[in-house]
Amino acid sequence: MSSAPMLVVRPAESRDLLALERLAATATPRLTNLPAHRDRLEERILRSQRSLRAEIDFPGDEIYCFVLEDLDTGEVVGTASLRAEAGAREAYYTYRQETLIHASQQLNVRHEVQTLSLSHEVSDATLLCALSLDARYRETDADSLLRRARLMFIAQYPERFATELAVAFPGYLETRDERQVSPFWDSVGQHFFDRDFNEINQMAGVRSKSFIAEVMPPFPLYLPLLTPQARAAIGRENPRHEYAMQEMLAEGFSRSRHVDIFDAGPLLLAECERLHTFKQCGWHPVRIRPQESLPDAVPAMVANQRLGDFRCVLARYALTPTGQLMLTPQQAEVLGVEEGRAVLAVPMPLPTMDEGEL
Amino acid sequence: MRIRPIARHDIEGLKVLARETGVGFTSLPDNHEFLSAKIERTLAAFEGREPSDDRLYFFVLEDDRDGSIAGCCAIEACVGTDAPFYHYRLGSLAHSSVQLDLHRTLDTLTLCSDHTGDAEVCSLFLREGWRKDRNGALLSKVRWLFMAQFRAAFPDKVLAEMRGVFTPEGRSPFWECLGSHFFPMDFNEADRLTGMGQKSFIGELMPKFPIYTPFLSEPARAAIGQVHEHTRPAVAMLKKEGLRWEGYVDIFDGGPTVEAYIDDVRAVRDSQLASVEVIASDAPACERPAVMAATTGMADFRASWISHDVTRDDSGACHVRLHRDEAERLGVTGGDTLRVLAG
Repeated sequence: MSSAPMLVVRPAESRDLLALERLAATATPRLTNLPAHRDRLEERILRSQRSLRAEIDFPGDEIYCFVLEDLDTGEVVGTASLRAEAGAREAYYTYRQETLIHASQQLNVRHEVQTLSLSHEVSDATLLCALSLDARYRETDADSLLRRARLMFIAQYPERFATELAVAFPGYLETRDERQVSPFWDSVGQHFFDRDFNEINQMAGVRSKSFIAEVMPPFPLYLPLLTPQARAAIGRENPRHEYAMQEMLAEGFSRSRHVDIFDAGPLLLAECERLHTFKQCGWHPVRIRPQESLPDAVPAMVANQRLGDFRCVLARYALTPTGQLMLTPQQAEVLGVEEGRAVLAVPMPLPTMDEGEL
Repeated sequence: MRIRPIARHDIEGLKVLARETGVGFTSLPDNHEFLSAKIERTLAAFEGREPSDDRLYFFVLEDDRDGSIAGCCAIEACVGTDAPFYHYRLGSLAHSSVQLDLHRTLDTLTLCSDHTGDAEVCSLFLREGWRKDRNGALLSKVRWLFMAQFRAAFPDKVLAEMRGVFTPEGRSPFWECLGSHFFPMDFNEADRLTGMGQKSFIGELMPKFPIYTPFLSEPARAAIGQVHEHTRPAVAMLKKEGLRWEGYVDIFDGGPTVEAYIDDVRAVRDSQLASVEVIASDAPACERPAVMAATTGMADFRASWISHDVTRDDSGACHVRLHRDEAERLGVTGGDTLRVLAG
């Protein structure tokens, strides 16, 4: 693995704007919360930098935007964000799956009816969002690093985040006439907006999603009145995101009753302390060793303890008998740590994923 | 032909009617206990024994040649007081956003009991062989004369539920798209239970949140507020009296409910009292009689078509001349008072 690329996750900076724009444009499917819109992305970077500079005692409307850089090529190949409070300043809308029981003793009838109700319940959770990765790195350790480095950040600054985390996955789309259409949107949102899924997604990205959600009709929807295709799409992730979702489930997230209001994609929820990364991560003093003398060990995420200069790299979970973490000089340099400084480390493999129990 | 309150001995005749009505005619199931209970309720109402809010006035059309029952009609004095009386109200919900350049209006169906306490004209049925000589109009309009005569016994408003759209095979597109998802039973079963007075229980199983009509199938949407083709003449007759569809539909078949303030109903407004003069001859046969007459007592209420016009004397009082057989049919003699309606 000596040829493995040197990868780092760090806060986004102004110079990353073009890369972000490219990643936004190539996200598949397009992400509402990552619009390919230069002004919005520039704003996001500035807001992220402000959030990192601010003194924070409890989560609010901060956004933390990270990038994944391949140091071998100097290229930014991925991005992911954290929204400290999903519904800060507005509300985070989801459809909540509910069951109503229609019963009549006189008629000896008991019938369950499924509904979708607009909900703001997830508004207080911290949202992991806006992840886009260069296709060449999909389903590699780089993918996992980008996704889970955010947990390493939250673990270090718990006062900045909610104890409940949420992650939404893009919903199921069909290809019709060479276009991606959402069967759920076609059966629901289309009635109310007369705009196709791609249009509304773009509008939501440029403005805000809750802005549109506020115009969504307030009453619950009865599932039996949706098309079979729309019903089948509820809580079903986009096939391109299956791997990511399995990884988050293995990490300790659970499926919830909530789905996206546009495409009915699933929303996973977790209490921080239930997550593998939180339970397994620990502080270790650094021991710097030449690359060739590092023992073989499972991959690990290793993060420094700096807020504005946060760095999280992919290394090996190579511990000395006294609990020091062995890093190469290059890794230590990227993290900005010297021998003896403490770093936060966690082994990458998620037990359930390795055991192939998916 | 004459109208009179139903009597106990009419039970067999009523069962014949019940068997001849089809699907969608919910108020007359072929069930002995149910029908005889209906008769008892009616007797109590006509005799003034019934609690004031549970009165059913059930009339039959009797062929006075042989006493056979040719049809029926009824008035519920006050619906929804005993068991809930449900409708869907067709409304609209605008949703707009200047910033999104959006302004749309969506139709919704909302479950409601807005008609609680209103009177209902219902259960009109005329047997095949008697669908002539304005018998249908007699059955429909007699109820207005009755309400005009006993106005204090009725509330402000009256409604009539019209049978909704069915396919030639007897299937209701509205039911299949909406109701069938909420009841594990077919329309006929739900319809039967409704006729047995269980409609409110079924209403409790219906969706309580508004339904956005764009979510319904095209045939179901098209059925909202539309009547079965056989019901069109009945609707036309009610509309002529001033009843209007205000957006309320049946929760099962989507058929319209038409309604009016009783005082605004044309027949209620235009009917008048007239004193009787009897002519000593029988009436000539007449295919299109023009004047309807009803007696002014409740328990011995009678109504029929008569052949002479109403005249008005210099003092403004009204008079009507009856042939001998007409007077016998109504059970009146010279000098008695009748409530009459031209047209």
